[in-house]
Amino acid sequence: MRWRVVVAWLLAGSAGPLWAGQLLVRVSDAGGHAVGNAVVTLTPESPPAAAAPEPVTRYVDQRDETFIPYVQVLRPGDRVVFRNSDGTRHHVYSFSEAKAFEFLLRPGESSPPVTLDQAGLVAVGCNIHDHMIAYLLISPAPAQVTPSQGQVVFEHLPPGRYTVTVWHPQLRPGQTQPSAVATVGAGADAQRADFSLSLVPDPRGFADREHLDY
Amino acid sequence: MRAAVGFRLRLALFFVATLVTVQLLTAALVYGVTRRALVSEGERQLAVNAQAFVAQMDDLSARVAGNVEVMALDYALRSAIAERDHGTVYSVLRNHGRRVGASRLQLVGLDGLVEVDTADVHASGQRFAFPDLAEHAFERRTAAVVALQAKAYWLVVVPIYAPQPVGLVVVYVPLDDKLLAHLRQLSALPGDIELAVRSDASGWVAAAQGLAHTGLVASQAGQGLPMRPAMRLVDGHEYLVLAQPLSQPHSSTPVVAVLGYSLGDALRPFHSVVIAWAMLLALGLVVGLIGAWLTARSVSRPVESLAGAARRIEAGDYRALPSLDRRDELGQLAAAFGTMADAVRQREERIRQQALHDQVTDLPNRVAAETAIDRARDAGTAHGALLMVGLTRVPDIIKTMGHGLYDRLMREVGARLGRVAANAYLARATDTQFVAWLPEADRTEAAAAALRILDALNAPYAEADVSIDTLPAVGIAMHPEDGALASVLLRHAEVAQFTATGSTRPLAFYDAATDPHRAERLSLMGELREALDHDRLLLHYQPKLALAGRRIDGVEALVRWHHPRRGAVPPQDFIGLAEDTGNIQRLTRWALAAGIAQASRWHAKGLALNVAVNLSARDLEEAELPGRIARLLAIHGLPPERLTAEITERAVIGEPEAAIRVLKGLADMGVGIAVDDFGVGQSAFAYLRYLPVSELKIDQTFVRHLAQDASDQIIVRSIVELGHRLGYRVTAEGVEDEGALEHLAAIGCDHAQGFFIARPLPAAALSGLAVEWVGAT
Repeated sequence: MRWRVVVAWLLAGSAGPLWAGQLLVRVSDAGGHAVGNAVVTLTPESPPAAAAPEPVTRYVDQRDETFIPYVQVLRPGDRVVFRNSDGTRHHVYSFSEAKAFEFLLRPGESSPPVTLDQAGLVAVGCNIHDHMIAYLLISPAPAQVTPSQGQVVFEHLPPGRYTVTVWHPQLRPGQTQPSAVATVGAGADAQRADFSLSLVPDPRGFADREHLDY
Repeated sequence: MRAAVGFRLRLALFFVATLVTVQLLTAALVYGVTRRALVSEGERQLAVNAQAFVAQMDDLSARVAGNVEVMALDYALRSAIAERDHGTVYSVLRNHGRRVGASRLQLVGLDGLVEVDTADVHASGQRFAFPDLAEHAFERRTAAVVALQAKAYWLVVVPIYAPQPVGLVVVYVPLDDKLLAHLRQLSALPGDIELAVRSDASGWVAAAQGLAHTGLVASQAGQGLPMRPAMRLVDGHEYLVLAQPLSQPHSSTPVVAVLGYSLGDALRPFHSVVIAWAMLLALGLVVGLIGAWLTARSVSRPVESLAGAARRIEAGDYRALPSLDRRDELGQLAAAFGTMADAVRQREERIRQQALHDQVTDLPNRVAAETAIDRARDAGTAHGALLMVGLTRVPDIIKTMGHGLYDRLMREVGARLGRVAANAYLARATDTQFVAWLPEADRTEAAAAALRILDALNAPYAEADVSIDTLPAVGIAMHPEDGALASVLLRHAEVAQFTATGSTRPLAFYDAATDPHRAERLSLMGELREALDHDRLLLHYQPKLALAGRRIDGVEALVRWHHPRRGAVPPQDFIGLAEDTGNIQRLTRWALAAGIAQASRWHAKGLALNVAVNLSARDLEEAELPGRIARLLAIHGLPPERLTAEITERAVIGEPEAAIRVLKGLADMGVGIAVDDFGVGQSAFAYLRYLPVSELKIDQTFVRHLAQDASDQIIVRSIVELGHRLGYRVTAEGVEDEGALEHLAAIGCDHAQGFFIARPLPAAALSGLAVEWVGAT
């Protein structure tokens, strides 16, 4: 099924100050409902020469047979540790090109830190519990995960042209990611970008898939 | 009988026809309604079945999908797919494909390109043939029917997560005969299911057939498949056919499920109903026929019995009719029949009584007597006597006294007979004759009975002022000597009675020798005619002596017949017969011709002999007789005075005028007329006056004893004197002695004739005598 992206640029008033720019991105589904867990990446046309920040270590907890968080944004070079907080074993794996790994975690056990050098998407699953999925998006550009309100704000943006890309776990497989170009002016007025996504069912409902009435 | 059978048959046919018609109409109605109900039921079932089939396909797809999904969760597979290890993926897919009953599995990447194909190792990199199926595979379970190379496949598309979607596994389950049969077995759908694929070349082609291999699709080639239930002929059988579209990708050739509902199969449960119905019909027919036959018989039996009674009545059997103890029309008819038979019987008895009884005397009549006698003889009466009692004076009595008295007289006679012949069977044979049949009687008893009867009847019948003599005569015929049949006995008794009537004794037995009516007389007549035709008769001549000159001057011609077998036949035998049978004229004609011829010969010799020829009464009725005699005389050149015609008085009495005319004609010619047998007949002096008589011949009864009997002498002398006074010559016949001759000569009689003078002689013998007689005396 085709997806549709509606981008509406709302240019508010005169140009803002040169040093400050704001971009508000809203993500909704075909029914107009706010979509959470979407990753909005903002790629400037001319990347700043600023030095990369220090790598950090992130955690993916496993609690109640669920990866927490579901979607996480990391920068290249960051590390991730998988921690089993359940009373069962988890077989954490990834076949992703960005990073493939496999850990068998006993209850309470944590994996060694995994360094994610390569930008890209790492889909993490549990071979024991198929409904357990987590996504690690490794992006050098600024990126945010939408909350359940489906809206993120990028602030203090230097004026310029940006490519806004949206990814979501339920995007139709094989489709190119929806993206848009946004020009952030010098003024203080916020730029807005709205994305309407056509989504497939949540793959985390795998266990109940046979009972889904579809 | 025929009518009765016809009635029975008609009634039975009517019953049968009605029964069959009603049954057939009912059957047709039931069949029509049942069929309509079955058709609409079939349409409903087809629709339901079509939906059920679709649901089954969904179940199948769910099962297949479930299997494949389990397979898709296999870590090794996921790892192999994610790591693009196509060799491993191929082997895993083939392994799992066998498990789920698929003939082919494909792994399709998210880009829509086939990565692995178990059916075709070179397929990787090609575009998946049904992209619209792949498009929604992640949103919902995707399954559809596709056609590949005229075969149908059930495609199930299952996404692979590792753990994010990485591709699709496409499972091809072949929809083949086996699967369809399996589906049918599982669901127990009635009718048959086939799958049809549309091929551009030849319309719909069967891709798979169910268990029955009905050929639903094949039979519909060329006319399209009905999308709504429609009645179609499949292999000559009626089927409701419905083509059910299946869920399909846009890119596939159309495939439909064709469902058939056999009307014949649906009707099969009704076969037992039909058989039961047919048996009921047969039973009804049998019962109806028996009932019709019995009903018809209850009608036709009495009718037949009445018809039989009618035939018996026709044959004269009036026995009691079979009583019909019924109150209906047939009973009335039978009663009417009975009264009719009674009436007919009474009437017939009356008619028979009248037919067989004499009304006057109340005695049986002749017919009844014949029957009774014949019956008695048949019953074993060996012998008996039949008495015929004749009353000779009856015509006189009727003429004188009238019929009333006559009837009373007859009743009295009957009563007297009853008294004196109590043992006899009495009957009245004719008006004037009674019959008495004496069974077991011999001649003596018969004669005694006859005498008793004569005694009884001789007593005159007396009424107030009249007294009548009946002059009875009795003839007796004996059984069996005189005849076996009653009719013969009757005739013979009558002959005997006639004999008795004519004689002095009033009692006579039948004598075959004197019976003038014997059968041989008839043959004698035929022979007489033959003798006449062949001139076998001859004339003898009895001379007449002229007393005055004592010389022969005349002869009487007498016919003689020498029968080749019987010898000399007496003239009284055949002349009377000729008179009775109408042959006397031929005899007379012959005698005239022969007599005149002989007379002319004598005349030519110079012998003056007068020839006398006898004429009968019948001859005198012939007006041309004088003309013929004149011609004969002229031919032979004989003077008429040489011929004399002898007649009796009787001959004139019958037709006096005609006879007198003939005799006058002869006399006028000069032919002499002689009256024969004068004195014994019914004297007709009255006629004598008118007759041109020239001669009287005194009967021989007066002449035979003339020499001794004084009264005869007086009579003869009186006749001679009377004749002479009237101017006639007188001849005496039967002169047998000299005394008579001398006496005749003394009283002046003219001629004498008789044995004393000469017997009748042949012509040749007479010639000499005529000359010599004078010398002989």
